[in-house]
Amino acid sequence: MEPEIEEDADLLRAHGAGDPRAFARLYDRYDRPCFQFIRRTLGAAHADAAEDVHQETWVSIAKNAAAFDARKAAFPAWLFTIARHKVWDHFRRQKVAVLASAGDEEAMMAPDLGPTPLEQVESRELAQKLVSAVEALPLAQRETFVMFAHAGLSLDEIAHATGVGVETAKSRLRYARATLRQALAGERSAHA
Amino acid sequence: MPDRDAPPDPIDTAYVQAEALLGDDAAHAARRARVLAAVARETMTPPAASSPPWPRSARRPGGWLAAASVVGLSVFLATRLYSPAPRPPPAPPPAAATLPAPQAPQAIATPPPAAPAPPQASAPRAVSTAPPKAAPAPAPSPPETAPNVPPPPPMNIAPVEKPRPSAPAPAPPPVVATAERNAPAAAANEAGSLAGRARDEAVQSLAPMAAMRASPARPPADDAARLRAAAAAGRTAEVEALLAQGVPVDAADPDGETALMKSVQADHPAAAAVLRRHGASLDRKNHGGASARDMAKAKGDAELNGAIGVVR
Repeated sequence: MEPEIEEDADLLRAHGAGDPRAFARLYDRYDRPCFQFIRRTLGAAHADAAEDVHQETWVSIAKNAAAFDARKAAFPAWLFTIARHKVWDHFRRQKVAVLASAGDEEAMMAPDLGPTPLEQVESRELAQKLVSAVEALPLAQRETFVMFAHAGLSLDEIAHATGVGVETAKSRLRYARATLRQALAGERSAHA
Repeated sequence: MPDRDAPPDPIDTAYVQAEALLGDDAAHAARRARVLAAVARETMTPPAASSPPWPRSARRPGGWLAAASVVGLSVFLATRLYSPAPRPPPAPPPAAATLPAPQAPQAIATPPPAAPAPPQASAPRAVSTAPPKAAPAPAPSPPETAPNVPPPPPMNIAPVEKPRPSAPAPAPPPVVATAERNAPAAAANEAGSLAGRARDEAVQSLAPMAAMRASPARPPADDAARLRAAAAAGRTAEVEALLAQGVPVDAADPDGETALMKSVQADHPAAAAVLRRHGASLDRKNHGGASARDMAKAKGDAELNGAIGVVR
Protein backbone atom coordinates (compact mmCIF):
# COMPACT_ATOMS: atom_id res chain seq x y z
CA MET A 1 0.00 0.00 0.00
CA GLU A 2 1.23 3.42 -0.93
CA PRO A 3 2.28 5.42 2.11
CA GLU A 4 0.14 8.42 2.77
CA ILE A 5 1.63 11.64 1.53
CA GLU A 6 1.88 14.05 4.38
CA GLU A 7 1.10 17.69 3.91
CA ASP A 8 3.94 20.15 4.34
CA ALA A 9 2.13 21.70 7.27
CA ASP A 10 1.84 18.30 8.95
CA LEU A 11 5.54 17.72 8.58
CA LEU A 12 6.27 21.12 9.99
CA ARG A 13 3.98 20.42 12.93
CA ALA A 14 5.64 17.07 13.50
CA HIS A 15 8.99 18.80 13.47
CA GLY A 16 7.70 21.21 16.07
CA ALA A 17 6.58 18.26 18.15
CA GLY A 18 10.08 16.86 18.07
CA ASP A 19 9.97 14.38 15.19
CA PRO A 20 13.47 14.62 13.72
CA ARG A 21 12.58 12.83 10.48
CA ALA A 22 9.72 15.12 9.63
CA PHE A 23 11.96 18.07 8.93
CA ALA A 24 14.30 15.97 6.81
CA ARG A 25 11.37 14.89 4.67
CA LEU A 26 10.21 18.42 4.26
CA TYR A 27 13.72 19.49 3.40
CA ASP A 28 14.02 16.78 0.78
CA ARG A 29 10.91 18.02 -0.95
CA TYR A 30 12.18 21.53 -1.45
CA ASP A 31 15.93 21.39 -1.13
CA ARG A 32 16.78 21.57 -4.81
CA PRO A 33 14.33 24.25 -5.94
CA CYS A 34 15.12 26.28 -2.87
CA PHE A 35 18.85 26.04 -3.37
CA GLN A 36 18.61 26.79 -7.08
CA PHE A 37 16.38 29.75 -6.37
CA ILE A 38 18.93 31.13 -3.93
CA ARG A 39 21.83 30.40 -6.20
CA ARG A 40 20.27 31.94 -9.27
CA THR A 41 18.96 34.92 -7.39
CA LEU A 42 22.36 35.56 -5.90
CA GLY A 43 23.83 35.34 -9.39
CA ALA A 44 27.27 34.31 -10.47
CA ALA A 45 28.99 37.06 -8.52
CA HIS A 46 27.65 35.77 -5.21
CA ALA A 47 27.39 32.08 -5.98
CA ASP A 48 29.85 31.33 -3.20
CA ALA A 49 27.36 32.50 -0.62
CA ALA A 50 24.56 30.23 -1.82
CA GLU A 51 25.37 27.41 0.61
CA ASP A 52 25.34 29.70 3.60
CA VAL A 53 22.19 31.51 2.57
CA HIS A 54 20.50 28.20 1.90
CA GLN A 55 21.45 26.94 5.33
CA GLU A 56 20.30 30.16 6.98
CA THR A 57 16.97 29.78 5.22
CA TRP A 58 16.34 26.27 6.50
CA VAL A 59 17.50 27.07 9.99
CA SER A 60 15.08 29.97 9.97
CA ILE A 61 12.30 27.66 8.76
CA ALA A 62 13.07 25.20 11.54
CA LYS A 63 13.18 27.85 14.22
CA ASN A 64 10.01 29.58 13.11
CA ALA A 65 8.00 26.47 12.34
CA ALA A 66 5.45 27.40 14.98
CA ALA A 67 4.76 30.67 13.21
CA PHE A 68 3.72 29.01 9.98
CA ASP A 69 0.02 29.33 9.29
CA ALA A 70 -1.19 27.10 6.47
CA ARG A 71 -4.38 29.14 6.18
CA LYS A 72 -2.43 32.22 5.16
CA ALA A 73 -0.04 30.70 2.65
CA ALA A 74 1.16 27.41 1.32
CA PHE A 75 4.47 26.19 2.64
CA PRO A 76 6.41 26.79 -0.60
CA ALA A 77 5.30 30.40 -0.65
CA TRP A 78 6.46 30.81 2.93
CA LEU A 79 9.74 29.04 2.23
CA PHE A 80 10.56 31.15 -0.80
CA THR A 81 9.58 34.33 0.95
CA ILE A 82 12.10 33.52 3.65
CA ALA A 83 14.71 32.45 1.11
CA ARG A 84 14.23 35.68 -0.76
CA HIS A 85 14.65 37.69 2.41
CA LYS A 86 17.84 35.83 3.16
CA VAL A 87 19.18 36.64 -0.27
CA TRP A 88 18.38 40.28 0.18
CA ASP A 89 19.94 40.21 3.63
CA HIS A 90 23.07 38.91 1.98
CA PHE A 91 23.03 41.70 -0.56
CA ARG A 92 22.56 44.21 2.22
CA ARG A 93 25.46 42.73 4.19
CA GLN A 94 27.63 42.85 1.11
CA LYS A 95 26.41 46.35 0.37
CA VAL A 96 25.25 45.31 -3.06
CA ALA A 97 23.14 47.91 -4.78
CA VAL A 98 20.35 46.05 -6.49
CA LEU A 99 19.00 48.09 -9.33
CA ALA A 100 16.09 45.81 -9.98
CA SER A 101 13.71 48.41 -11.31
CA ALA A 102 16.13 49.84 -13.85
CA GLY A 103 16.92 46.34 -15.08
CA ASP A 104 13.25 45.56 -15.27
CA GLU A 105 12.54 48.54 -17.44
CA GLU A 106 15.35 47.66 -19.76
CA ALA A 107 14.27 44.08 -20.02
CA MET A 108 10.69 45.03 -20.67
CA MET A 109 11.86 46.54 -23.94
CA ALA A 110 12.84 43.11 -25.21
CA PRO A 111 10.34 41.79 -27.74
CA ASP A 112 8.77 38.44 -27.05
CA LEU A 113 9.44 36.17 -29.97
CA GLY A 114 6.88 33.62 -28.80
CA PRO A 115 7.53 30.07 -27.74
CA THR A 116 10.17 28.23 -29.68
CA PRO A 117 10.35 24.45 -29.64
CA LEU A 118 12.69 23.67 -26.82
CA GLU A 119 12.02 20.02 -26.27
CA GLN A 120 14.94 19.58 -24.03
CA VAL A 121 18.32 20.84 -23.26
CA GLU A 122 20.56 18.49 -25.16
CA SER A 123 23.91 19.29 -23.84
CA ARG A 124 25.52 20.36 -20.64
CA GLU A 125 26.94 23.34 -22.45
CA LEU A 126 23.56 24.52 -23.53
CA ALA A 127 22.21 23.94 -20.05
CA GLN A 128 24.97 26.12 -18.70
CA LYS A 129 24.12 28.83 -21.22
CA LEU A 130 20.50 28.80 -20.19
CA VAL A 131 21.35 28.95 -16.52
CA SER A 132 23.74 31.78 -17.19
CA ALA A 133 21.02 33.58 -19.09
CA VAL A 134 18.74 33.16 -16.10
CA GLU A 135 21.40 34.60 -13.85
CA ALA A 136 21.76 37.52 -16.21
CA LEU A 137 18.11 38.45 -15.89
CA PRO A 138 17.20 41.48 -13.83
CA LEU A 139 16.80 40.39 -10.24
CA ALA A 140 13.04 40.82 -10.02
CA GLN A 141 12.48 38.84 -13.22
CA ARG A 142 14.99 36.24 -12.20
CA GLU A 143 13.36 35.47 -8.87
CA THR A 144 9.93 35.47 -10.43
CA PHE A 145 11.00 33.11 -13.18
CA VAL A 146 12.78 30.65 -10.88
CA MET A 147 9.94 30.64 -8.39
CA PHE A 148 7.49 29.91 -11.15
CA ALA A 149 9.46 27.55 -13.36
CA HIS A 150 11.42 25.57 -10.83
CA ALA A 151 9.69 25.97 -7.49
CA GLY A 152 6.20 25.66 -8.86
CA LEU A 153 4.75 28.66 -7.11
CA SER A 154 1.62 30.24 -8.53
CA LEU A 155 1.58 33.86 -9.63
CA ASP A 156 -0.46 34.73 -6.58
CA GLU A 157 2.13 33.17 -4.33
CA ILE A 158 4.97 34.87 -6.17
CA ALA A 159 3.19 38.19 -5.95
CA HIS A 160 2.76 37.66 -2.22
CA ALA A 161 6.35 36.56 -1.71
CA THR A 162 7.82 39.44 -3.67
CA GLY A 163 5.44 42.05 -2.41
CA VAL A 164 3.99 43.10 -5.74
CA GLY A 165 0.68 42.75 -7.51
CA VAL A 166 -0.19 39.67 -9.52
CA GLU A 167 -0.10 41.65 -12.77
CA THR A 168 3.43 42.83 -12.05
CA ALA A 169 4.51 39.28 -11.30
CA LYS A 170 2.92 38.15 -14.54
CA SER A 171 4.72 40.84 -16.51
CA ARG A 172 8.03 39.95 -14.95
CA LEU A 173 7.55 36.33 -15.87
CA ARG A 174 6.61 37.17 -19.40
CA TYR A 175 9.63 39.37 -19.95
CA ALA A 176 11.92 36.90 -18.30
CA ARG A 177 10.78 34.19 -20.68
CA ALA A 178 11.18 36.49 -23.64
CA THR A 179 14.72 37.33 -22.68
CA LEU A 180 15.59 33.69 -22.16
CA ARG A 181 14.13 32.68 -25.50
CA GLN A 182 16.18 35.32 -27.20
CA ALA A 183 19.30 34.17 -25.46
CA LEU A 184 18.65 30.57 -26.29
CA ALA A 185 17.68 31.31 -29.89
CA GLY A 186 20.89 33.24 -30.36
CA GLU A 187 22.82 30.36 -28.91
CA ARG A 188 21.15 27.87 -31.21
CA SER A 189 21.61 29.95 -34.31
CA ALA A 190 25.25 30.34 -33.38
CA HIS A 191 25.56 26.59 -33.18
CA ALA A 192 23.62 26.00 -36.40
CA MET B 1 -1.88 33.99 -19.24
CA PRO B 2 0.78 32.09 -17.40
CA ASP B 3 -0.41 30.25 -14.37
CA ARG B 4 -0.13 26.83 -12.88
CA ASP B 5 -3.18 25.52 -14.72
CA ALA B 6 -1.70 26.32 -18.12
CA PRO B 7 0.67 23.83 -19.77
CA PRO B 8 4.26 24.55 -18.85
CA ASP B 9 6.09 26.95 -21.06
CA PRO B 10 8.91 25.25 -23.02
CA ILE B 11 11.46 27.65 -21.63
CA ASP B 12 10.39 26.74 -18.09
CA THR B 13 10.80 23.07 -18.91
CA ALA B 14 14.16 23.71 -20.51
CA TYR B 15 15.32 25.55 -17.43
CA VAL B 16 14.23 22.75 -15.08
CA GLN B 17 16.04 20.25 -17.29
CA ALA B 18 19.12 22.42 -17.35
CA GLU B 19 19.20 22.61 -13.56
CA ALA B 20 18.73 18.86 -13.35
CA LEU B 21 21.54 18.31 -15.81
CA LEU B 22 23.89 20.59 -13.95
CA GLY B 23 22.87 19.29 -10.55
CA ASP B 24 25.62 17.74 -8.49
CA ASP B 25 24.37 14.84 -6.41
CA ALA B 26 27.48 14.70 -4.26
CA ALA B 27 27.22 18.38 -3.47
CA HIS B 28 23.54 17.93 -2.81
CA ALA B 29 24.19 15.14 -0.32
CA ALA B 30 26.88 17.15 1.45
CA ARG B 31 24.61 20.16 1.59
CA ARG B 32 21.76 18.10 2.95
CA ALA B 33 23.91 16.70 5.74
CA ARG B 34 25.25 20.12 6.61
CA VAL B 35 21.89 21.85 6.63
CA LEU B 36 20.13 19.17 8.66
CA ALA B 37 22.99 19.15 11.16
CA ALA B 38 22.75 22.90 11.48
CA VAL B 39 19.00 22.70 11.90
CA ALA B 40 19.33 20.01 14.56
CA ARG B 41 21.92 22.05 16.37
CA GLU B 42 19.97 25.26 16.20
CA THR B 43 16.71 23.73 17.24
CA MET B 44 18.45 21.85 20.04
CA THR B 45 19.98 25.04 21.34
CA PRO B 46 16.96 25.97 23.42
CA PRO B 47 18.13 23.48 26.03
CA ALA B 48 21.68 24.62 25.49
CA ALA B 49 20.60 28.21 25.40
CA SER B 50 18.68 27.64 28.56
CA SER B 51 22.02 26.91 30.15
CA PRO B 52 22.60 30.61 30.73
CA PRO B 53 19.69 30.63 33.15
CA TRP B 54 21.36 27.73 34.90
CA PRO B 55 23.65 29.74 37.07
CA ARG B 56 20.77 32.00 37.90
CA SER B 57 18.51 29.19 38.99
CA ALA B 58 21.35 27.62 40.88
CA ARG B 59 22.03 30.81 42.67
CA ARG B 60 19.16 30.45 45.07
CA PRO B 61 19.73 26.86 46.08
CA GLY B 62 23.46 27.54 46.15
CA GLY B 63 22.99 30.51 48.44
CA TRP B 64 20.83 28.56 50.81
CA LEU B 65 23.25 25.71 50.73
CA ALA B 66 26.15 27.97 51.61
CA ALA B 67 24.26 29.67 54.42
CA ALA B 68 22.95 26.39 55.77
CA SER B 69 26.35 24.76 55.70
CA VAL B 70 28.01 27.68 57.48
CA VAL B 71 25.36 27.79 60.18
CA GLY B 72 25.30 24.02 60.49
CA LEU B 73 29.05 23.80 60.82
CA SER B 74 29.23 26.51 63.45
CA VAL B 75 26.40 25.00 65.48
CA PHE B 76 27.88 21.55 65.18
CA LEU B 77 31.30 22.69 66.30
CA ALA B 78 29.92 24.74 69.14
CA THR B 79 27.76 21.95 70.51
CA ARG B 80 30.45 19.38 69.96
CA LEU B 81 33.02 21.38 71.86
CA TYR B 82 30.90 22.56 74.72
CA SER B 83 28.26 19.98 75.35
CA PRO B 84 30.50 17.81 77.54
CA ALA B 85 31.21 20.78 79.73
CA PRO B 86 28.09 20.65 81.87
CA ARG B 87 28.72 17.02 82.74
CA PRO B 88 30.97 17.63 85.68
CA PRO B 89 28.43 19.07 88.11
CA PRO B 90 28.96 16.71 91.07
CA ALA B 91 32.65 16.10 90.99
CA PRO B 92 34.71 19.19 90.50
CA PRO B 93 38.01 17.53 89.54
CA PRO B 94 36.57 15.43 86.76
CA ALA B 95 34.62 18.41 85.59
CA ALA B 96 37.80 20.30 85.32
CA ALA B 97 39.33 17.41 83.54
CA THR B 98 36.57 17.31 81.04
CA LEU B 99 37.07 20.91 80.27
CA PRO B 100 39.68 21.26 77.65
CA ALA B 101 40.36 24.87 78.34
CA PRO B 102 42.66 25.96 81.12
CA GLN B 103 39.93 28.28 82.34
CA ALA B 104 38.11 25.38 83.91
CA PRO B 105 40.32 24.99 86.95
CA GLN B 106 40.28 28.70 87.42
CA ALA B 107 36.53 28.59 87.54
CA ILE B 108 36.53 25.76 90.03
CA ALA B 109 38.58 27.86 92.32
CA THR B 110 35.73 30.23 92.79
CA PRO B 111 34.05 30.29 96.24
CA PRO B 112 30.82 28.57 97.28
CA PRO B 113 28.81 26.58 94.74
CA ALA B 114 31.36 27.59 92.26
CA ALA B 115 32.35 24.07 91.35
CA PRO B 116 29.63 23.54 88.83
CA ALA B 117 29.60 27.14 87.93
CA PRO B 118 32.59 27.34 85.64
CA PRO B 119 31.48 24.79 83.17
CA GLN B 120 28.06 26.30 83.20
CA ALA B 121 29.50 29.66 82.79
CA SER B 122 31.26 28.57 79.70
CA ALA B 123 28.00 27.30 78.43
CA PRO B 124 26.20 30.57 78.45
CA ARG B 125 28.71 31.93 76.02
CA ALA B 126 27.95 29.19 73.67
CA VAL B 127 24.37 29.89 74.27
CA SER B 128 24.85 33.56 73.80
CA THR B 129 25.29 32.90 70.11
CA ALA B 130 22.07 30.97 70.32
CA PRO B 131 18.72 32.50 71.15
CA PRO B 132 18.66 34.51 74.34
CA LYS B 133 15.29 32.93 74.92
CA ALA B 134 17.07 29.98 76.43
CA ALA B 135 18.35 31.98 79.32
CA PRO B 136 14.98 33.01 80.65
CA ALA B 137 13.74 29.47 80.44
CA PRO B 138 16.06 28.01 83.04
CA ALA B 139 15.59 31.00 85.25
CA PRO B 140 12.39 29.78 86.88
CA SER B 141 13.89 26.39 87.53
CA PRO B 142 15.27 25.81 91.06
CA PRO B 143 18.86 26.90 91.38
CA GLU B 144 20.72 24.11 93.06
CA THR B 145 18.91 21.11 91.70
CA ALA B 146 19.56 22.00 88.18
CA PRO B 147 23.27 21.21 88.12
CA ASN B 148 22.71 17.80 89.66
CA VAL B 149 20.18 16.70 87.20
CA PRO B 150 21.58 17.74 83.93
CA PRO B 151 19.38 17.06 80.97
CA PRO B 152 21.70 17.07 78.00
CA PRO B 153 20.62 19.84 75.77
CA PRO B 154 19.15 22.32 78.23
CA MET B 155 22.01 21.54 80.52
CA ASN B 156 24.10 24.07 78.74
CA ILE B 157 21.64 26.66 79.67
CA ALA B 158 20.31 25.61 83.04
CA PRO B 159 23.57 25.93 84.88
CA VAL B 160 23.83 29.47 83.74
CA GLU B 161 21.06 30.42 86.03
CA LYS B 162 22.48 28.57 88.94
CA PRO B 163 24.98 31.21 89.91
CA ARG B 164 22.21 33.73 89.97
CA PRO B 165 20.69 32.50 93.19
CA SER B 166 24.12 32.37 94.73
CA ALA B 167 24.42 36.06 94.07
CA PRO B 168 20.79 37.00 94.33
CA ALA B 169 20.25 40.67 94.67
CA PRO B 170 22.23 42.47 91.99
CA ALA B 171 22.16 41.93 88.31
CA PRO B 172 22.36 38.22 87.69
CA PRO B 173 24.66 38.04 84.73
CA PRO B 174 27.10 40.65 85.92
CA VAL B 175 27.28 39.02 89.36
CA VAL B 176 28.33 35.74 87.98
CA ALA B 177 30.65 37.58 85.79
CA THR B 178 33.26 38.07 88.45
CA ALA B 179 36.07 35.58 88.28
CA GLU B 180 34.07 33.00 86.51
CA ARG B 181 33.20 35.22 83.67
CA ASN B 182 36.72 35.44 82.44
CA ALA B 183 36.86 31.72 81.89
CA PRO B 184 33.68 31.52 79.89
CA ALA B 185 34.71 34.56 78.02
CA ALA B 186 37.92 32.93 76.92
CA ALA B 187 36.12 29.74 76.12
CA ALA B 188 33.55 31.68 74.27
CA ASN B 189 36.23 33.48 72.35
CA GLU B 190 37.71 30.18 71.40
CA ALA B 191 34.33 28.86 70.44
CA GLY B 192 33.74 31.99 68.47
CA SER B 193 37.05 31.75 66.74
CA LEU B 194 36.49 28.08 65.98
CA ALA B 195 33.09 28.76 64.65
CA GLY B 196 34.48 31.67 62.71
CA ARG B 197 37.24 29.51 61.31
CA ALA B 198 34.74 26.85 60.38
CA ARG B 199 32.63 29.45 58.69
CA ASP B 200 35.63 30.84 56.86
CA GLU B 201 36.59 27.39 55.70
CA ALA B 202 33.07 26.73 54.55
CA VAL B 203 33.00 30.02 52.74
CA GLN B 204 36.37 29.31 51.16
CA SER B 205 35.22 25.92 50.00
CA LEU B 206 32.24 27.58 48.42
CA ALA B 207 34.28 30.36 46.88
CA PRO B 208 34.86 28.68 43.54
CA MET B 209 31.15 28.03 43.20
CA ALA B 210 30.43 31.62 44.07
CA ALA B 211 33.00 32.76 41.55
CA MET B 212 31.39 30.62 38.90
CA ARG B 213 28.05 32.09 39.76
CA ALA B 214 29.38 35.59 39.77
CA SER B 215 30.65 35.30 36.20
CA PRO B 216 28.10 33.30 34.26
CA ALA B 217 29.23 34.80 30.94
CA ARG B 218 32.79 33.64 31.33
CA PRO B 219 32.47 29.95 30.49
CA PRO B 220 30.94 30.49 27.03
CA ALA B 221 33.66 32.97 26.12
CA ASP B 222 36.29 30.59 27.40
CA ASP B 223 34.74 27.76 25.47
CA ALA B 224 34.70 29.79 22.30
CA ALA B 225 38.36 30.60 22.83
CA ARG B 226 39.04 26.92 23.44
CA LEU B 227 37.20 26.07 20.26
CA ARG B 228 39.35 28.47 18.26
CA ALA B 229 42.49 27.18 19.93
CA ALA B 230 41.52 23.57 19.25
CA ALA B 231 40.72 24.43 15.65
CA ALA B 232 44.04 26.22 15.23
CA ALA B 233 45.87 23.24 16.67
CA GLY B 234 43.89 20.72 14.64
CA ARG B 235 42.50 18.97 17.71
CA THR B 236 39.49 17.61 15.89
CA ALA B 237 38.10 15.58 18.79
CA GLU B 238 38.13 18.60 21.05
CA VAL B 239 36.49 20.68 18.34
CA GLU B 240 33.76 18.04 18.03
CA ALA B 241 33.31 17.88 21.80
CA LEU B 242 33.04 21.63 22.21
CA LEU B 243 30.58 21.92 19.36
CA ALA B 244 28.55 19.11 20.89
CA GLN B 245 28.41 21.15 24.07
CA GLY B 246 26.78 23.94 22.13
CA VAL B 247 29.72 26.31 21.78
CA PRO B 248 28.79 28.75 18.99
CA VAL B 249 30.60 27.62 15.88
CA ASP B 250 31.16 31.11 14.51
CA ALA B 251 32.16 32.85 17.73
CA ALA B 252 34.88 35.29 16.75
CA ASP B 253 37.89 36.59 18.63
CA PRO B 254 38.63 40.31 19.00
CA ASP B 255 40.02 40.31 15.46
CA GLY B 256 36.82 38.86 14.11
CA GLU B 257 38.43 35.51 13.40
CA THR B 258 36.37 32.36 13.79
CA ALA B 259 37.45 28.82 14.55
CA LEU B 260 37.07 27.96 10.88
CA MET B 261 39.43 30.75 9.90
CA LYS B 262 41.93 29.50 12.47
CA SER B 263 41.77 25.96 11.17
CA VAL B 264 42.12 27.14 7.57
CA GLN B 265 45.06 29.38 8.40
CA ALA B 266 46.77 26.56 10.27
CA ASP B 267 45.91 24.17 7.44
CA HIS B 268 43.94 21.60 9.40
CA PRO B 269 41.41 20.18 6.90
CA ALA B 270 39.89 17.69 9.34
CA ALA B 271 39.11 20.32 11.93
CA ALA B 272 37.85 22.65 9.22
CA ALA B 273 35.58 19.94 7.86
CA VAL B 274 34.11 19.33 11.30
CA LEU B 275 33.44 23.01 11.72
CA ARG B 276 31.84 23.20 8.30
CA ARG B 277 29.67 20.20 9.11
CA HIS B 278 28.44 22.13 12.10
CA GLY B 279 27.51 25.08 9.96
CA ALA B 280 30.56 27.30 10.24
CA SER B 281 30.29 30.17 7.80
CA LEU B 282 32.72 30.39 4.94
CA ASP B 283 31.78 33.95 4.16
CA ARG B 284 31.87 35.64 7.50
CA LYS B 285 34.67 38.17 7.39
CA ASN B 286 37.25 39.09 9.97
CA HIS B 287 38.05 42.69 10.78
CA GLY B 288 40.53 42.67 7.92
CA GLY B 289 37.76 41.85 5.49
CA ALA B 290 38.92 38.30 4.77
CA SER B 291 36.66 35.28 5.01
CA ALA B 292 37.58 31.65 5.59
CA ARG B 293 36.87 31.12 1.91
CA ASP B 294 39.35 33.83 0.95
CA MET B 295 41.93 32.30 3.23
CA ALA B 296 41.39 28.84 1.82
CA LYS B 297 41.63 30.10 -1.74
CA ALA B 298 44.81 31.93 -0.90
CA LYS B 299 46.27 28.77 0.57
CA GLY B 300 45.44 26.78 -2.54
CA ASP B 301 45.47 23.52 -0.66
CA ALA B 302 43.23 21.14 -2.57
CA GLU B 303 42.58 18.93 0.42
CA LEU B 304 41.68 21.86 2.59
CA ASN B 305 39.47 23.35 -0.08
CA GLY B 306 37.76 20.03 -0.58
CA ALA B 307 37.19 19.63 3.13
CA ILE B 308 35.36 22.89 3.46
CA GLY B 309 33.64 22.78 0.08
CA VAL B 310 35.41 25.68 -1.55
CA VAL B 311 36.20 23.74 -4.70
CA ARG B 312 33.39 24.39 -7.05
